[in-house]
Amino acid sequence: MSDGLKIVVLIKQVPDTSSAAGVNPDGTVDRVRARKMMNPFDQFALQKAIETRNAHGGEIIVVSMGPPPALAILHEACEYGADKGYLLSDRRLAASDTLATAFALFKTIEFIGNVDIVFTGLQTTDGDTAQVGPQIAERLDFPQVTYCEKMSIEGRTIRASRIIDGGIQRLEVDIPALITIANSASRLEHKRFYNVYRTRELLRDKQTLAKTVMTITLDNIGADPARVGLMGSPTVVGKTWKLGEKGGSCKMFQGDSAKHGVETLIESLSEDERGIEEYVL
Amino acid sequence: MSKYGDVAVIADQIQNDLRPVTFELLGAANDLAEKLGVKVLAIVMGHELGEIPQTLIYNGADKVYVVDQPELKEYSTLPYRRAAIAVLESLERPPHIVLCGATTLGRDLAPRIASYFETGLTADCTDLDIGDYVHKGKADPTKVGTYHNCLYSIRPSFGESLKARIIGPWKNPQMATARTGALVPFKTDTTRTGKIIRVTAKFEETDFRVRVIETAREVSDALDLLKAKVIVSGGFGLGGPEGFDLVRDLASIFGESAVGSSRKAVDSGWIPYSHQVGQTGKTVRPALYIALGISGAIQHRVGMSNSATIIAVNKDETAPIFQFAHYGIVGDLYEVAPLLKEHLKQSMSN
Ligand SMILES: Cc1cc2nc3c(=O)[nH]c(=O)nc-3n(C[C@H](O)[C@H](O)[C@H](O)COP(=O)(O)OP(=O)(O)OC[C@H]3O[C@@H](n4cnc5c(N)ncnc54)[C@H](O)[C@@H]3O)c2cc1C
Ligand SMILES: Nc1ncnc2c1ncn2[C@@H]1O[C@H](COP(=O)(O)O)[C@@H](O)[C@H]1O
Repeated sequence: MSDGLKIVVLIKQVPDTSSAAGVNPDGTVDRVRARKMMNPFDQFALQKAIETRNAHGGEIIVVSMGPPPALAILHEACEYGADKGYLLSDRRLAASDTLATAFALFKTIEFIGNVDIVFTGLQTTDGDTAQVGPQIAERLDFPQVTYCEKMSIEGRTIRASRIIDGGIQRLEVDIPALITIANSASRLEHKRFYNVYRTRELLRDKQTLAKTVMTITLDNIGADPARVGLMGSPTVVGKTWKLGEKGGSCKMFQGDSAKHGVETLIESLSEDERGIEEYVL
Repeated sequence: MSKYGDVAVIADQIQNDLRPVTFELLGAANDLAEKLGVKVLAIVMGHELGEIPQTLIYNGADKVYVVDQPELKEYSTLPYRRAAIAVLESLERPPHIVLCGATTLGRDLAPRIASYFETGLTADCTDLDIGDYVHKGKADPTKVGTYHNCLYSIRPSFGESLKARIIGPWKNPQMATARTGALVPFKTDTTRTGKIIRVTAKFEETDFRVRVIETAREVSDALDLLKAKVIVSGGFGLGGPEGFDLVRDLASIFGESAVGSSRKAVDSGWIPYSHQVGQTGKTVRPALYIALGISGAIQHRVGMSNSATIIAVNKDETAPIFQFAHYGIVGDLYEVAPLLKEHLKQSMSN
């Protein structure tokens, strides 16, 4: 391939639950007040895409589906080294579940056309399903590698290793393919790519930026509105409730010394009714 | 005959080793099937599966659909997808519910199957139930109505401090994946009988666009975490990677034990990710969980709060972990852990 690879990276804007702002005392997230950030897992995916493009040539197109403020993460991705971005933003997408989200993103990838590799994060910190990637791969009829840690490319073949329960699987995959990147892959190298590939100039130059990151709607990608949003979602949230605080049932040992605490604990353990004697006493 | 289709479980099997989640799914499937008045099906794919179908019957399956072909020797998405779809499409009546593990296998396979059938899939459930649902939403009039005997897929949501019940009665099968350690396993009964049905999948060339070069299973701690009876976990309170020597040391006195950790210890590079317990790590359910220097953040809690007994050691008496541990020792872990080891060892040898 003389032109290199056409790479799509799917990135989502999520509430930043690590900062105190917008996180309620009970741990729930106030989605309006919370600071927003690029989904941490998608940063690993972007890094893999950058490494791949730098090694093999081609272009990186970052794609996000979300409300207009999500433009910020596409801009950020371009600063790190992505070449172009699309924000799929449309009111009719509201309340999409994973099947509907995957359908909308699939239509966007089709709209982009001739894509060689789609990178996604392993999962989002708000949706937290790890489903969207494989659901898109099914629609695209692409092979997939989930939980990918390492990869290299030779010709039209990707060599990858993926995490499995209690081990590792090494694979070879034909391009085109969809890859979801595990959080044990290499982190986004902020400073380096910031300086080498793009500068803030891109952001200062609004006109270039507007050409680089575009907002599109369902009409642009030709997606049937009945297959996204509430109508296109086979699942709904029926009810939510708070995780009950157990509180107060913990037997505390402070004692005058650690030794005393441990001794008393061992005594209590022998009366423990949860059946741990078998393993412990 | 019941109004509803059966409850199907896709067995989680790597190199002919049935993963613990399979037995847990069969436990939950039996509860659901009883409420619906239907049977439990297990679908198992692999090669030279030997006693595995019989094991599934002993562990709660009424019927086992077996796809045993050389192409399925190692797990690979597309051949397994083809085989699972072959079984589901061979059924006279589509199942009401299909369950998978929220494992590296289930999370790879289940979304492909759900997308193929264009049906709903709820990820990482910690509880499953059956119940009615009334949909009043005006936004989508096609869904309005009362639905009976829906699958309730219950999962943590929004940074894990809420639980959500996800419903999807509009499409069948209703699908969910469940975390290892979250559901109660079926109690093995070797007198159970059931039917074993063989299905042959017809593969296409495109199913082999992924070639498995090697499946390397380290007999690693990661494996042990899910099977261990005792887990000793260390957190940021260890102060450094050397702290895990203390954790390992304490774990070593128990027979079937493993070493766990909080995410902060993993992020600090003190221990590999495979040891992480919690929302973005593993969900565990050992008989005994000892937490050393772990504050008990909600994201850690959801991964271990189902442990039968929890002992926490923390120097801060206000640490949240003391809100849900069963036993708490307030003190410096470097002082307490060696004492714990000594005393536990003593009482175990008595
Ligand atoms: C989206 C998301 C997902 C997450 N997923 C996970 C996950 O899967 N698993 C997970 O664990 N976390 C997860 N976290 C992180 C979680 O919120 C906490 O930051 C983390 O669990 C804290 O780890 P810790 O308890 O080890 O550290 P800290 O909260 O810093 O607690 C250290 C504790 O050690 C005590 N201590 C210090 N020194 C000593 C001593 N000498 N002796 C005794 N006690 C001592 C302190 O009093 C303190 O309570 C996630 C966070 C987010 C936002
Ligand atoms: N709204 C979205 N826009 C762009 N990418 C998304 C979106 N939702 C999910 N993804 C991608 O799919 C991955 C898995 O998401 P999830 O299934 O929500 O855990 C994420 O890491 C993203 O790469």
